This record gives sequence, structure tokens and C-alpha cells, in this order.
Amino acid sequence: MEDLLKDLAQAKPPTPEVDHDRMERDLARILSTPRLRPARSQFLRRFAPLLVVAAVIVVAVIALPSPSQPVRPAAPPQWWRVLTQHWSLMVVGEPANPYVVRFNSTTDQWVAADSQISVVQKDGDVAPFSLDDDNKWTAAGKPTTAPQVGGNYSVRIGPMKPAVQKTNIAGFQMSAHSKVRFDSIDTLPADPVELKKVLETIAGKDTYQTAMLAMGMMLSNGSWERRQALFDLLEQLDGVRFLGQVNLRNGRSGIGVAISAPSTFQFSGVETQLVINPETGMPIVKRDVLTTPQHGLSANMSISEEEYLLLEKTTIDPILPPDVAVNGEVESPIIER
Amino acid sequence: MEDFSAVYRECYPRVLAYAASHAGAQRAEDITSETFTIAWRKLDQMPSNALPWLLGITRNLVRTARRQVWHDELADVPATDDFAQVVELRAALASLSEADQEVLTLVAWHGLTPVEAAQVLGCTTATFFVRLHRARRRLRAALSTPNFDRARESWKTS
Repeated sequence: MEDLLKDLAQAKPPTPEVDHDRMERDLARILSTPRLRPARSQFLRRFAPLLVVAAVIVVAVIALPSPSQPVRPAAPPQWWRVLTQHWSLMVVGEPANPYVVRFNSTTDQWVAADSQISVVQKDGDVAPFSLDDDNKWTAAGKPTTAPQVGGNYSVRIGPMKPAVQKTNIAGFQMSAHSKVRFDSIDTLPADPVELKKVLETIAGKDTYQTAMLAMGMMLSNGSWERRQALFDLLEQLDGVRFLGQVNLRNGRSGIGVAISAPSTFQFSGVETQLVINPETGMPIVKRDVLTTPQHGLSANMSISEEEYLLLEKTTIDPILPPDVAVNGEVESPIIER
Repeated sequence: MEDFSAVYRECYPRVLAYAASHAGAQRAEDITSETFTIAWRKLDQMPSNALPWLLGITRNLVRTARRQVWHDELADVPATDDFAQVVELRAALASLSEADQEVLTLVAWHGLTPVEAAQVLGCTTATFFVRLHRARRRLRAALSTPNFDRARESWKTS
């Protein structure tokens, strides 16, 4: 966005020179003309004594000596916090009688200058998705594990165990497949074309991976301008569709983009959508939406969502779940069959 | 009255520039004068950040006297390498709808923030961003049309 608007700014027509004599002449004329009498002036006159009394009370209250309080120096923000609510669907059970389960969990990520702490699988569980799925699961004997349909693993149904992961490497890791880290997205180019080149050093020429990186970067601590540059880059990628204003189920709204997602072992005909708050550039939700009906699920239905509940600087230290070992084993609900 | 005079002197050049870019230099001073006359009459409604409100008044005035004139002023652009790009951009801009031109120029030419520009247009900031995204996309598309590509090539070879 920035580039095009900057170019356009260069094409601005010449600004007319101000004729100061005329300007002052006009001002004198304007000031000599009568102003509209505001309707509220009568109201003010009528209630002026009351307003004066009210003002005196306010001043007296403000002027009262308040109990002395210790002066605390303002601490600078220490953490960038990303609180994400995830859910996703998976088809499990016997191929002849499958049903859908929903993985639901929260990830609380805290990034500081020299460390990163993530609480994963917080408040997590795996449960049948719909009432019909619950009936099928019950009919199957309410198994605690169920095989993936079309996959090689099984799924543990029930609550997830939270885990805490801590690293002392600073910065934002661009992807699970790359060790490249950035202190802030503000260190990256603001020009979408240059930004794309940087992302392609990590994602290669894979448009979808580049889009996923750009979406991931928008979660990190950075300026409005960089987020706008990233959104602009997303819009310019081949195959990306601008969705315009998107109204979400929870009453929030934003603007969004969509890109076709590669098929997984269970779903094909899926597009990934990102919806952001246009005023802040902050992501609101990223979701995978079916473009064709499959597994009993209708088109336009989300099969996974990441809703970003918090993206903020904070001085509050990370809140860790009790009785959970830092860097202990993560008990995934996906297990060997 | 002193506050109004201060706002007047501070905002006059930007109101004049807005009026000139939308109604032509010749009418700009009259429209600016009329803008501040209306503002004076409605002084009680003037917000602390007066510029978007003033431009909203100017906008209503220029809509009745709109005459796009930036082609007439190209003579003021030095004939450098940038000249071709300026011609191209203004022509692409002129090919868009008035609504798209307005959204783009409020930000790019008049230096308003999206929040201020939304106030001028009387819409929410979210709506403004959607309009800005769409207008930008259409401007980019206009710049990519074969006509502009041919023009660009001719400028390179001339």
C-alpha cells in the first residue's frame, strides 16, 4: 500500500500559493458576520447557577488532600503476549461409520527480549463435534481413542494436558520449518515487493507458505505500517482474494483475504482466510474454510480456526499453569495407533 | 474568536489545497472563504481537530462545483523522468470513479490519517479502510492495463 500511495503523493497537483492579503481580508469579513446563535445557549443561561454550584463541588472534591501514595516508576512493557483460541476438526472412527471430533485448546505465548514462553494445550480437550457425532461416538462405545480416517494415527478423546515450553532465544521464529528469527517485524522491509523477497528466502517460491509466513508475522510485535505492508503483500500474492468486510459470528468484524490451501489427508477444497482489524492491522482470526461439502460438512464451514484473543504489550509476568513442568513432555492427543 | 483565527490561519492552506485539487485553482479561494464562513457560523460544532470537519464542509461545497483540473496543471511539473510517471498516475487516477479518487487523494495528497479521512467522508474507519483497499486495487489495475503499458513503453523510447 505504502508504495502506491507514495507514488501517488508524488503526482499531487501543485499546491496553490496562499494569497495572504486575501486570506486576512476574508478573515476580517468572516469575523464581522453574525454567528448562528446555538440553541443550547438558552439552556446554559437557564441552568448556569446550577452548573456553577456543580463546578464548585467538583473543584472542592479535586482539591481535597488525598492520602499520600508511594511513587512507583513506570515499568516499560516487558512481554509481547499472544493469546490464541484454537479449534479444528478431524474425521475419526471406522471408515464405514465415521464421526467428527473437535480439538479445542488455548495457546498463551509470551515473548520478551531474551526469552519466549508458551503455554500450549491450555483448557484443551477433544470431543465429538455435533450431536450426531456424539451419538455415533456413544454407539461405538465411547472409545477413549479412535483411529483417524485416512491417516496412520489415532486420536485420544477427552481432556488435553497443558504443557509449558520455554526457550531463551530471543525473537520471533518465522516458521516451524525455519530457524530464522526476527526481533520485530519492524526490522523487515516496508515495501511489499522487498518483503516478499525476504519471505521467499524462507518459504521458497511457494505462494501458500509465503502467505502463511506473512499471516504469522502479523501476530508479532510491530507497527501499524508493517502490518499494513504485510496485508498489502498478502493481497498482491497470486491467487489471493480480497474478501472486503467480513462479519464474524462473535459480532466482531474486519477485512479479510483468502487463499486456496493445499489438500490434507482428510480435506481438499479448503481455503485459508485471515481477517484483520483494519484500524490496528492486528489479526482477529485465521481459519480454514471448506469450499466444497465433504465428510458431512457443508461448504463455507470452518474446519479450523485460530482466534486471537489478545495481542498486546504487557508488564505482567507469564501466568503458568500449576503443577506443570517447564519443558516437560507434551502429551499430544494424536498418538501412535 | 482568537481560537477561530488560529484555526483559520493553520488550516487555510490545506483547505485551499483540497479545494484546488477538486474544483480548480480559480475557484479554490472562493470555496475556502465560503468554508470558513460556514465554519464561523457553526463555531460551536467545531471539534478540537478541526481539519477533517473543515474538509467535510469543503467537500460539500466542491461537489456542487466539481471540475477535475489536474490535467491543466501538468505544465507545472518539471519534464524530468518523473514527468511520465506523474502523467501516468494522474491519468490512471482520473480513470477511477470519483469516490475512489476521493479516498485515495485524501490520504496521498492531503495527508490525512485514515481516521481523519473517514470523518471527512462521514463513514466509519473500517468502512474507509475497505474503500481504500478497493480503490488502491483499482488504481493498481488501471496502471496495469495495456493502454498504460503501451504509454509507458512509448515514454521509455521517446
